[in-house]
Amino acid sequence: MAVLRGFLWLTGVWLAGETLVVLLDLPVSAGVVGMLLMTILLMLRIGRLDDIAAAGQPLIGLLAMLIMPGVVGVFFVADDFAGQWLAVAVALVVGTLASVLTTLLLMRRCMPAEPDADAPPESRS
Amino acid sequence: MSDALVAVREALLATPLSAIALTLAAYLAALWAVERLGRPGWCPAVLLAALLVAATLWGLSIDVADYRRGADWLMLLLGPATVALGVPLYQQLPHIRTLWKPLALSLPPAAALASCYSLALAWALGASPEVLASLAPKSVTAPIALGIVEELGGSVPLLMGGLLLTGVMATLAVSLLAPALGIRDHRILGFALGVNGHAIGTVRAFEMSPAAGAFASLGMSLTGILTALCLPLAWRLLGL
Repeated sequence: MAVLRGFLWLTGVWLAGETLVVLLDLPVSAGVVGMLLMTILLMLRIGRLDDIAAAGQPLIGLLAMLIMPGVVGVFFVADDFAGQWLAVAVALVVGTLASVLTTLLLMRRCMPAEPDADAPPESRS
Repeated sequence: MSDALVAVREALLATPLSAIALTLAAYLAALWAVERLGRPGWCPAVLLAALLVAATLWGLSIDVADYRRGADWLMLLLGPATVALGVPLYQQLPHIRTLWKPLALSLPPAAALASCYSLALAWALGASPEVLASLAPKSVTAPIALGIVEELGGSVPLLMGGLLLTGVMATLAVSLLAPALGIRDHRILGFALGVNGHAIGTVRAFEMSPAAGAFASLGMSLTGILTALCLPLAWRLLGL
């Protein structure tokens, strides 16, 4: 029953997120609000982590499959965005290359040196 | 006889179960095939599975709208699945506590630029507002990105295609750029994969090492939250 209890927690927290979004007119989706609520509840030791993880882990593992019906649609919208595909492709390919480069440079600057462990012992050779 | 077949086809299309069965079958077949191919980074299982479903729909001349109506029952689970992302986030809290300074300094610009570079490029090449709205959350994990795109008024199929390509490109970019820059710290590589390549990058990071995977999920969740909170507001302020 752990899975059922966990699933009830997830659905309940999602509903709480939806309630907050409607009441406060937030420009954020109910899922994101629910995710933050879930983290806060766990930090406050409300709800059993075991139960929630029992229902949550399989769901997270299935995320790729859950978004698939949305992915299928992309093969049927070619005409709707005719003439814009070059812009889309360039934006995605070049934009992603550029953003990966910035993240790497930023992190290299900000991140303290690794404590030890899994850094490959390059100097030994 | 053919009348009976038409009746069967109608009946099967009327129930969401056929769309769900088709989705599950295509996904499992894609997982099997991708495993056989040695898990190439450029072909995530979702892409292959989506191609299989699209080919089936086309072959049986089934309307995508009919398929979507049935498959919406599966996508309903995205809500609880998004909430469930709070669990790994909670488990990452020790990492966040010890490294809050470098994270606070590098995450906001990294997450913002992931979106801004592409928006600027697409805008310069004359993309319509709808296309811009669909590309804006391209580095955010799908369940969160779907919520953002609804807020911004973009196209879900275009977003999904963008997410896939972004994930694949980010994985490729990290494996090309990191050696060139001499970066071997798995925490940095994982973080870059998670921030830019959402779930697809995170899967790749877990293949590298548990440390890379942990930082990728951290980067992915924080980017998702930050973008979900800031992007719709920025969109409103810019009057788009």
